[in-house]
Amino acid sequence: MAAGRTKQIFIRNLGSDNPVFVQVLGICSTLAVTNVLKNTVVMCLGLVFVTSLSNLSVSLLRKWIPSRIRMMVEVLIIASYVIIVDIVIKAYLPDISRQLGPYVGLIITNCIIMGRAEAFALSNPPMASLADGAAAGLGYSYVLFAIAFCRELLGSGTIWGVRVLGDWWVNWSIMVMAPGAFFMLAIFIWAVKRFVVTGEEAKKK
Amino acid sequence: MSRKSKTRERLFTVFFMFAVTAGFISAVSALNLATADIVARNAGLFMQRAVLEAAGLDPTGSAPQVNARYGAAVKKETSPDGDTFFRVVDPGSGEESRVFVRRGAGLWGSITAVVGMQRNHEILAGVTFVEHNETPGLGARIDEAWFKKQFRGKRPPLRRVPEGTASASVSEFDAITGATVTSRAVEQILNRTAAETRHKAGP
Repeated sequence: MAAGRTKQIFIRNLGSDNPVFVQVLGICSTLAVTNVLKNTVVMCLGLVFVTSLSNLSVSLLRKWIPSRIRMMVEVLIIASYVIIVDIVIKAYLPDISRQLGPYVGLIITNCIIMGRAEAFALSNPPMASLADGAAAGLGYSYVLFAIAFCRELLGSGTIWGVRVLGDWWVNWSIMVMAPGAFFMLAIFIWAVKRFVVTGEEAKKK
Repeated sequence: MSRKSKTRERLFTVFFMFAVTAGFISAVSALNLATADIVARNAGLFMQRAVLEAAGLDPTGSAPQVNARYGAAVKKETSPDGDTFFRVVDPGSGEESRVFVRRGAGLWGSITAVVGMQRNHEILAGVTFVEHNETPGLGARIDEAWFKKQFRGKRPPLRRVPEGTASASVSEFDAITGATVTSRAVEQILNRTAAETRHKAGP
């Protein structure tokens, strides 16, 4: 696979075709796990792992998967990887597993993974699919990091559990609840569309 | 397409699904079996820490340290009416307390508290929470150290006072602002536990 192609895949997923702020997929977990940075990082690592490997597996099997049951196969593959992530977190990061609760299992329903499997892995070679999965995962992750950073700072006055704002700071309780994530995400999407990804919109006009 | 090739295609579809399922399920099952011990050990350690904390002992440290401390101080017992509890003897002062696991309704789900009562069943030795689904940042703040620590030495029945009051009274505790339902649940769990266990008080 050409290096240029990989680069293109990454640029597309991180920017102009970002799963969160352009396609607005995977919002459920964006709301649920971004109140504390630490949980977000674990969740994102899990998601990158699952998107990469499920894309790779679907791509490896793509020539044999009968088209009428392709979604069943995709869900099976995705669910297997998610359960693997869940088991590993439970065994080696028990505290974080307790905090994330059901959200790790809910990666299965994250639309980004199924979306990449359907839209990319089914019709592309394995290495390109792996790169695409990883890139989509990273594109999701950095948006979540940005949101989690703001939410933890404003909502708890801490970064990575360390207090950075002094006693004078009054925590914005709304930031650690789901509505806080809606506000942050909306602001993020607005800022990106207004100031960063303006090229395409302008070209269309 | 002839009938024969259609049948073959269908058979292949079924076979393929079986094969893929078998492959992935075996991998997941193998990993699950391989980590089952670690997961069980984690759960055990978590409970040991909770019991030590509720008895007012130090719950921190590595797994072997906690194991040793737990082994030296705690005995699991069953009361005549079939209730399981932990009898904890403080190795320093020789004081005895009893630790009970109690459940109550929180805002989003049930809250499981581990409650330590001092020997006379009048005074709380400590409280910690092992399971809850309260709102992160609001109700989930029951996990914060200041909230759990304030119960040590309090005498139920307890009454809630606003957060930050830092009440010195032995029958009041600081509730959590924005988490009235959760605070009320904690109040109820503690008062119920104290009332239930008091009349069980014995040597």
